[in-house]
Amino acid sequence: MYETFDHTADVGIRARAADLASLFRDAAQGLFALIAEPVAAAPSARRVELEVRGERADLLLFDWLSELLYLSERDRSILCDFAVELIEGGLRGRATAVPMEQARDALLREVKAITYHGLRVERAGAEWIAEFIVDV
Amino acid sequence: MGKQAYQGPLERVGECVWRIPKSYKRGMRVDGLIFASERLIEQIRHDQAPEQVANVAFLPGIQRASLAMPDIHWGYGFTIGGVCATDPEQGGVISPGGVGYDINCGVRLVRTNLSRGEVAPVLERLVDALYRRVPAGVGRGGAYRFDAKELRRLMAEGARYLVGRGLASETDLEHTEARGCLAGAEPDLVSERAVARGAEQCGTLGSGNHFLEIQVVDEVCDDTAARALGLTRDQVCVMIHSGSRGLGYQVCDDALRDLRGVPARHGIELPDAQLACAPIESKEGRRYLGAMAAAGNFAWCNRQLLMTQTREVFAALFGRSASDLGMSLVYDVAHNIAKNEPHTIEGRERRVWVHRKGATRAFPPGHPEIPADYKAVGQPVLIPGDMGRASWVLVGQPGSMEQTFGTTCHGAGRAMSRTAALRASAGRRIDEELRALGVVARAQSWRGLAEEQPAAYKDVDEVVDVVHRAGLSRKVARMRPIGVIKG
Repeated sequence: MYETFDHTADVGIRARAADLASLFRDAAQGLFALIAEPVAAAPSARRVELEVRGERADLLLFDWLSELLYLSERDRSILCDFAVELIEGGLRGRATAVPMEQARDALLREVKAITYHGLRVERAGAEWIAEFIVDV
Repeated sequence: MGKQAYQGPLERVGECVWRIPKSYKRGMRVDGLIFASERLIEQIRHDQAPEQVANVAFLPGIQRASLAMPDIHWGYGFTIGGVCATDPEQGGVISPGGVGYDINCGVRLVRTNLSRGEVAPVLERLVDALYRRVPAGVGRGGAYRFDAKELRRLMAEGARYLVGRGLASETDLEHTEARGCLAGAEPDLVSERAVARGAEQCGTLGSGNHFLEIQVVDEVCDDTAARALGLTRDQVCVMIHSGSRGLGYQVCDDALRDLRGVPARHGIELPDAQLACAPIESKEGRRYLGAMAAAGNFAWCNRQLLMTQTREVFAALFGRSASDLGMSLVYDVAHNIAKNEPHTIEGRERRVWVHRKGATRAFPPGHPEIPADYKAVGQPVLIPGDMGRASWVLVGQPGSMEQTFGTTCHGAGRAMSRTAALRASAGRRIDEELRALGVVARAQSWRGLAEEQPAAYKDVDEVVDVVHRAGLSRKVARMRPIGVIKG
């Protein structure tokens, strides 16, 4: 699950999950919920696969989200249906890409970047929490 | 991390100046100074912006003070509305966060010879035509295509490149800060990823607080300066606010990645990772500056092409050429940039890198960088307010050189977070409210309008009043919006 939190100029996202892979998945959902309303992917929609390397959980989250943002803007597509698997030295992620042309009515706003300000990934009791602020 | 009020010291040291003493935090090298009225400083205390002013004071080589304008609000790393000058001879650093992701985000103002009365009958059609023509919002590609080689030339030469393509004139260059080209641009340092993000976006508005507005000169405060700038009461103008689009965002992102671990390697202690920096003379510092200048030049081309499209829409609708409609550029200013400038510090002229993160250059009359026709009145400063109330045209004053490294505010500054603005708009029609104020607005999404509603911003009149009283810049004309295009 994810929620937004107040930031004067931009938007903060807080994700919570039982494990790290789910946390990264939910953070990606939170990010794309800022860019577009939920979109339905056709069965023929393109799947995207990527690997992100990194040891530190907060920087791994940063790089994962930044990579998704880059792919979305480069290919002018909305990403959804995320799946994340932790692998040795990083993560492997998958997402479905819906062309923005097919989701024009769902588009909300551009996210310029993920910022390092207030970035955190922590374990709190039985759950993992991630917080990040995006520049919009 | 949520929105928390600032609990630290704020000492009044002048009519419009508040100090955060460097004793507030171990590691601050200079004081923080915030320009604000009593009322504004109360708003400013409501979030972490003053804390960020204090954090910037940690940067090596910082001169005089970590400065903030009255429109400051909580940003990431640097506050929005922050100014910091660093001296390379004193170990000064360059910090990409002090420029921001939207490198050379800025504003340009285009005058027309049309009056409000001539535009009013066709306003709705004009706004619709602009909204159809000018790409705004997420996922909209531009009408202009540049191949990889052309893009590299565009980034190297800035707006001058467009003169050769018949998309800009010498007069446009004359009235653009730095003549639309930052020296030292190195397009080869702009990554393929950045080019891929920005390739189709030159000539697009973007979203968030970017806009294109049709405005009317509502009030003239300084007849001489207004005459020099070609502005008269009741005249219709167009204000454009945009930056370097995905290309600039990626340049900043790449630089921050490049800087991972660099501050620690140089023994630089930082209170916020987003303040990541490198000595100006380091390889990382030089790399960023070359790429930043290239992205800045891309931004000037972007605003130039936004203006070109605006001119074409006006010409088609009024059945007269843009030059016949008097559509010439008043000025174009950058408000997210780092520039190498000479400033007198402790009685000696030194070249420093002035980071302006949501702050506008405001050089006084006579400064060599001001175009000849404005030299007597000072550099034009364009201050977008909000889409319901007003924007301002100011001119730079000598006080800016003495106090703020030739800098003034850049806008109204947000008073309300985006989520709070959305909550406050539940059950309301912002477009209808704007219409009641005499403003025709078009936007990609109702949320965009809600987040940018007038109440989300501080009162720009009050912000401008502070910089006017502080002698940083002087009021010339107040502009009232009548048509708004938002992403």
